[in-house]
Amino acid sequence: MIKVEHIVKQFKDLKAVNDVSLEIKKGEIVCLIGPSGSGKSTVLRCINGLEKPEQGHVYLNGQLLDESQKEQYTQLRSQMGFVFQHFNLFPHMTVLKNLTLAQIQVKQRSEEEAIKIACEYLERVGLLDKKDEYPSKLSGGQKQRVAIARSLCMNPQIMLFDEPTSALDPEVVIEVLEVMQELAKEGMTMVVVTHEMGFARTVADRVIFLEDGQIVEENTSEEFFSHPKTKRAQDFLNKVMH
Amino acid sequence: MFAAFDKVFTPENILYLAKGAVISLIIAALSLLLGIVLGIIGASAKRSKFFVIRMLGNIYVEVIRGTPMLLQILLLFSVVPSIYTAFTGEVLRINIYLIGVIAMSINSGAYSTELIRSGINGVDKGQWEACETLGLTHWQTMKLVVLPQAFKRIIPPMISEFITLIKDSSLISCIGAGELLKASQVIGAEYYDVMSPYCLAAIFYLIMTISISYLGRYVERKLAESD
Ligand SMILES: Nc1ncnc2c1ncn2[C@@H]1O[C@H](COP(=O)(O)OP(=O)(O)OP(=O)(O)O)[C@@H](O)[C@H]1O
Ligand SMILES: [Mg+2]
Repeated sequence: MIKVEHIVKQFKDLKAVNDVSLEIKKGEIVCLIGPSGSGKSTVLRCINGLEKPEQGHVYLNGQLLDESQKEQYTQLRSQMGFVFQHFNLFPHMTVLKNLTLAQIQVKQRSEEEAIKIACEYLERVGLLDKKDEYPSKLSGGQKQRVAIARSLCMNPQIMLFDEPTSALDPEVVIEVLEVMQELAKEGMTMVVVTHEMGFARTVADRVIFLEDGQIVEENTSEEFFSHPKTKRAQDFLNKVMH
Repeated sequence: MFAAFDKVFTPENILYLAKGAVISLIIAALSLLLGIVLGIIGASAKRSKFFVIRMLGNIYVEVIRGTPMLLQILLLFSVVPSIYTAFTGEVLRINIYLIGVIAMSINSGAYSTELIRSGINGVDKGQWEACETLGLTHWQTMKLVVLPQAFKRIIPPMISEFITLIKDSSLISCIGAGELLKASQVIGAEYYDVMSPYCLAAIFYLIMTISISYLGRYVERKLAESD
């Protein structure tokens, strides 16, 4: 479904991503893990075009993401939902408006239809009763669930998550992970950058371990956590699991 | 020194000054509004991806902020009619209020450009990214997400700009516009006492500026509540 071929992304003289290739199949849950600064976010952002790699290609369903083909590029990007570490909800709009804005502006849905769809997804993340609140009145966990619902309203085929729980208080992390687990069960294709090893171990089909902008190890999550092949993955796991 | 004060302090004179104050207020308000329009254009220019347009935006802001407003008013007052004459051969009967408002708008627009630009830059770039991932275009993002948030932070400094404009509108008295300062000079000439009418004019200015400043603080509190 997603195919990344030899991407390189450079910031000044730092190669944040250095020749990364990967493939994600339909319905797969893949976790990107690795130490801070290893390039996880940058890889994820290159996949949906928030960063433009200097070299390499990204394909979605066999179609190249090519900025010069404006229409196709926009169309391909719209099939990927993105969830940010810091939610990025629109603070001047109610929860409901947050969810309907792009549906109306981009998908050209009527207001009633957009509201109906928004309410369905709010129900699913358990926040229908908050639809008329402003984001500032919500807890971090609630904000992130709203952000996930906002993405889902656009009917993406793939959801990309960049450390969706890193900015949350420990006690609300679980409510966001549960929503993601639900999504995974429904068969959503997901790429998740995370430090939640428990989630990676139990929910992910596959784990990709990055260091210094390169893929060091790639394996089923079962294998990765029980028998990491590389010394660097072992060291990393020792550090984060204890 | 204030011997003539009770002679000056008549209902007719107060009314005359009040009319001048209203004119000052209207001129300042119009200049603020037109200045905001210029500010939006200026801020867009300064954010343009084209170097030449960015440069034009910079020149506008630097030239206006680097020269005195009085000079700008006088220049516009003398330049516009002479250009008109040069092109048409006729003499332009110029409306000094219009010239005043135009000069002050151009001046205020440079300050608004900077206020609006920094307001837009102050909006978290995560907002742009979220819109990008949702498929909104640049202009949809600007109009629906960024500007509403930017304006919220721009309103308090805009109110200070309004107060500045009320005070600076006194400068157009020098081209003959009958605003508050001019009104006090007219009364002064009549009574051979400028001191008393000047003091009255000062009181009128203070009434306007202090009440707007209070209004500003009220609005600021309201905005803080809705955050
Ligand atoms: N916009 C940017 N400008 C300059 N350098 C950047 C930028 N974004 C990322 N980097 C650098 O690129 C490298 C990889 O960053 P990236 O954010 O992808 O790492 P990460 O694995 O997501 O780390 P973390 O776990 O801290 O989020 C880091 O050294 C970072 O400082
Ligand atoms: Mg990151």
